Amino acid sequence: MFKELDPILHSQLRLAVMSLLISVKEAEFTFIKEKTNATAGNLSVQIQKLKEAGYVEVVKEFKDNYPNTTCKITEVGINAFEEYVKALQQYLNVNHK
Amino acid sequence: MSDEKQLSSEESLQLITSMINKAKNSFYDSGISLLLWGSAVSIAAFVTYLQVQYQFSIGFDIWWLVLAAIIPQVIISVREAKIRKVISYDHTAMNAVWITYAITIFGLVAYQNMIPSATDAILKNEGWVLIKHYTSGTKPDEQIRPFTLSVTSIYILIYAFPTLITGIIKRFTAMIIGAVIAYGLFIASFYTSFKYDMVLAGITALVCWFIPGIILRTKYLKLKQKERNV
Repeated sequence: MFKELDPILHSQLRLAVMSLLISVKEAEFTFIKEKTNATAGNLSVQIQKLKEAGYVEVVKEFKDNYPNTTCKITEVGINAFEEYVKALQQYLNVNHK
Repeated sequence: MSDEKQLSSEESLQLITSMINKAKNSFYDSGISLLLWGSAVSIAAFVTYLQVQYQFSIGFDIWWLVLAAIIPQVIISVREAKIRKVISYDHTAMNAVWITYAITIFGLVAYQNMIPSATDAILKNEGWVLIKHYTSGTKPDEQIRPFTLSVTSIYILIYAFPTLITGIIKRFTAMIIGAVIAYGLFIASFYTSFKYDMVLAGITALVCWFIPGIILRTKYLKLKQKERNV
């Protein structure tokens, strides 16, 4: 039985954000924007979706008098990502058989 | 990058790999802190050697230079924190190691400077002092302030080392508190004799390891119980 791919993660930009955040402790919004080459507006929307799913934690604060957004993957997000990768592996194993 | 594009399994995996690699390649160290401390400590050590070897004095203790290096280090750390856009897991671990190392070094400096007067006080309390007596009679007697090595104090300082690092990395408050208490006991041990140093070492082991151990064990047993009930 195939596991269904998590629709929250099975989107290019959201998966890119999660893949970045799984590798670091925390990252600023500007860093994620730079690495994903996404527009600020689109990225904000996708991060909001991840936040609503409980996959990321978003902290908004001021840094040098400028607003600064920091994102961090949550335990729920780590588990979801791991499950997503496991499901992907299942699909790939079947495709290669 | 679009959010709507439907990915195949291969594309998803490629994307994950490429983003993880991008994140990995984003960490760099300017190396400026290593240059600062490497130069400050080596200059102080070489100048001390030259003063002893060639019998001259530069008029002040060169090791103050090492202490003064804290100021540029603080400036460097603040600047680097301002421009840092991403924090890696090993950044936190490395910070914990270097912070604990700095505390240990300054603990040793304090130890080195406090022990002679502390030993003197203990001896006076016991009612005796060490005197250097010149048998030739050309010079008056001088009181000696001995540097009596109290190894237990060093042990206490070392006990705190892994405790604080683990506490910071694992965010385990009990171990951070244990390490802070250990530093306090380390300072207290300057002024106590060997017998009481042992009591302090025992307390250190309790606060650094035994109490955190009880907390972890309780959590572990509760978790096991929960798993059995599921």
